[in-house]
Amino acid sequence: MRLTSLGLVRGLIGYAVGLLLGMAVVVVSRLLMGMSVWEAEAAWVGGVFFAVIGFLGGVGALSDWLKWTRGAETPLLHGPPADKPAWTRYFGVDYNHKVIGIQYGVTGLFLLLIGGSLALVFRAELADSGISFLQPGTYNTFLSMHAWVALAAILLGVGGMANYLVPLMIGAADMAFPRLNAFAYWINVPAILTLLLSMLFGWDSGWTAYPPLSLRGPVGYQLVFLSIFSIGLSSILGSLNIIVTMLMMRPKGMSLFRMPIFCWAILATSLIQLTATQLIGQAFLMLSFERTLGMPFFNPLYNAAGENIGGQPLLFQHLFWFYSHPAVYVFVLPGLGIISELLPVFSRKPLFGYRWVALSSLAIALVGFLVWGHHMFTSGYGEYLRVVFMISTLLVAVPTGVKFFSWLGTLWGGRLTFPTPMLFTLGAISVFLIGGLSGPILATTATDLFLHDTYFVVGHFHATIFGGFVFPFFAAIYYWYPKITGRMYDETMGKLHFWLMTPGFWLMSLAQMTAGTMGMRRRIADYDPALGVENVHLLVTIAGFVIAFSILIMIYNLFTSAEIGATAGNNPWRSRSPEWQIPSPAPEHSYARPIAVVGEPYDYGLAGSKYIASMGAGDD
Amino acid sequence: MAAVTTPAHAPLGHAHASHADTPHADHDNFAAQLRMNRLGLWLFFISEAFLFGGLLAARFYLWGGTRPELDQNIGLIVTSMLLVSSISMRIAETAMERGNRKAFSFFILLTAIFGLIFMGGVMVFEWGLFPAIYQGHLTPWGDKYGAIVFAMTGMHALHVISGVAFILIVWNLARKGHFSKERHWGVEACAIYWHYVDVVWIFFYPALYLIGNVAHVTH
Amino acid sequence: MLKQNGYGIVVFIGVLLAILTVVEYFMGLYHVGATLLMLMAALKAILVLYFFMHVSRLWTAEGDH
Repeated sequence: MRLTSLGLVRGLIGYAVGLLLGMAVVVVSRLLMGMSVWEAEAAWVGGVFFAVIGFLGGVGALSDWLKWTRGAETPLLHGPPADKPAWTRYFGVDYNHKVIGIQYGVTGLFLLLIGGSLALVFRAELADSGISFLQPGTYNTFLSMHAWVALAAILLGVGGMANYLVPLMIGAADMAFPRLNAFAYWINVPAILTLLLSMLFGWDSGWTAYPPLSLRGPVGYQLVFLSIFSIGLSSILGSLNIIVTMLMMRPKGMSLFRMPIFCWAILATSLIQLTATQLIGQAFLMLSFERTLGMPFFNPLYNAAGENIGGQPLLFQHLFWFYSHPAVYVFVLPGLGIISELLPVFSRKPLFGYRWVALSSLAIALVGFLVWGHHMFTSGYGEYLRVVFMISTLLVAVPTGVKFFSWLGTLWGGRLTFPTPMLFTLGAISVFLIGGLSGPILATTATDLFLHDTYFVVGHFHATIFGGFVFPFFAAIYYWYPKITGRMYDETMGKLHFWLMTPGFWLMSLAQMTAGTMGMRRRIADYDPALGVENVHLLVTIAGFVIAFSILIMIYNLFTSAEIGATAGNNPWRSRSPEWQIPSPAPEHSYARPIAVVGEPYDYGLAGSKYIASMGAGDD
Repeated sequence: MAAVTTPAHAPLGHAHASHADTPHADHDNFAAQLRMNRLGLWLFFISEAFLFGGLLAARFYLWGGTRPELDQNIGLIVTSMLLVSSISMRIAETAMERGNRKAFSFFILLTAIFGLIFMGGVMVFEWGLFPAIYQGHLTPWGDKYGAIVFAMTGMHALHVISGVAFILIVWNLARKGHFSKERHWGVEACAIYWHYVDVVWIFFYPALYLIGNVAHVTH
Repeated sequence: MLKQNGYGIVVFIGVLLAILTVVEYFMGLYHVGATLLMLMAALKAILVLYFFMHVSRLWTAEGDH
């Protein structure tokens, strides 16, 4: 097998060629316009833009569409390529949603490891006061990179769960637009390369990239802007695909309120991704143009009379948070959906208040559009806005509370079992509770004025994201691992992972919040030992390393169990969901014939109730 | 497992698209795919509406109740060009629905020509790219007026150009005998995309040319 | 509901849009304010969405045509 028959390798070649080509285009056009030939920033902008396109061309994500423009027929290929080993399909363009889902998920996990490692580096620096080995500039680059790499990991993880699970759960053969699906995955890869490349130059503003700092920093910013723009494009196209799939391809009898609850979470998520993502793309594009062409969107520009004829930095914050706040719900809603999906299975009880849970996801998504200003309480915008945004933000607690009560109601009186996925689900609830309870403190203007930009915010954010994404994502990985590989993971290692990670995270999160209330600011490489936070920081660092170690256990577990794990069988969890009624690992064509829904999805423990007709639902 | 292929509906809606089992199944598949395609395209429009909405928000945030000095006649003329192009596009689509391929080809090319005239107007008069013909006074880096005008018209122009490219692809496919009275998703998609670009301009035109008082900026 | 698939309706809506555009232009000249102008734009947009882009095809079960 030739190496270039792998799509990924061709894509990388395309990336390199595109990079050089783009740089050449910039150099030549500067030459023609009589400017100085080499300007690093312009060259990199042009280079990276062409590199992304080069990658997509090289990997083959555009081939079918180009054929369409000529009117050629492009049949959908199924199964692994005939002349190559089966594993190669994961390294090239493949249209099967299960393959794409795994591509998303594995890339997401890989990025999570990179993002986590970056955090470990600067956590080590923070373990005691004084600068030990990271200079402040480098520290800021690590910190900013940690944020975007981890956020990209989350977006990919969400994409992985949505792509793998939604078509399976609604009994669809595949996504509505398989080619678009593959494109939406593959554009992430050059974007990630570009993001990692930005470390060469450094960028130091934190992930928010607020101007004017982001307009003055190194070239790294330009690479970040283009990278996030591409990842955003992936979010938009992926969510479009998911919405169409969910609205148009449900089987007979599956009304919207009979969908598995995870689908509702993904529907709400997709609505946010489809719309709000445009705003961060636009904001970063405007930053890029302001840097490259000097278009004054955000930087003030004063004329001789002293009037500002240029832009305003606050405009950026509005555009940025209009995406970036709803984005937080993109990160957590799927995870909350996983919690609601798994609890009934391991409690053997119906999901408490199905309709309310379904609608609460939509409510969170919609209210989420109205709360962006709570990130700007200290920005100096109109004071009346503080009240508006405070009230709208506190409203989010209502639908979130609905979810918590549903979880409690589901657990209440259930016949609970505690395999690893259930443990992680319960861990997620506990961690999300920490994040949730620290939320109103920050949403209230009066307290936020003191806590803004402190480690309290860091603690709150990480608790919400771990509770809303990381723990449920791990629960989902353990839960659907048998369906993906056909084998069981190692239960002992799974439990060890949980019992290291959960207390580790509690400690880390609470210690971060403590440091914040003691006056520790975020995004600084050094601090005054007189604050008295040194011991707290040491605890955070130790907890961080414990969490990292526990995740390595999971990776080891996942790799080895795929070879030596016990055969799982079709439905090890006795779930009623359609994907568990088919063989494990899920076959190429998931459902031999269309399924029909005849009952409610979560009627566990109700004698004789059925969700799916003729496939033997797993009721007990 | 060897690679297998299943019948695929040719994406842009060719006349002989499918190899499905029976004519009936073929018809059902096509109808289902068409419904999905339509929903997908409209979701894309909704998404793009947020992009253009963001640009409008930036305009109102930075300009408020002022606007730059732009030539009103030019504004009215390019706006009319885009409106006329939309009408001719709609006629082209109706022609295809009635199986009149000749009229289709004529009107869809006419649409592209009107679109290009619009683009020319924008480039010559709004952007001042050809000072020999028209001396523009706005530059993207000059002040907030130039920046926003170039951002809004630039993003819109990108969509006009992609629309023209789409038209040329569809026209070429139709020339080669693709599409039929019953099956012409490619034509429909191209047409409603073009109208969408027109809708965007319907909002941009007053935002750029009509709302607010003219600001005379001194540098 | 107006019949949507003739040449006549296309020209009629086109003329209507042209008239609205001219009205809009004069509204701009006389400074009627942003709200009215944006409402005017919305009216034009609805005409285009309904008659040119056949938005109703999304929910009519027409399927093909």
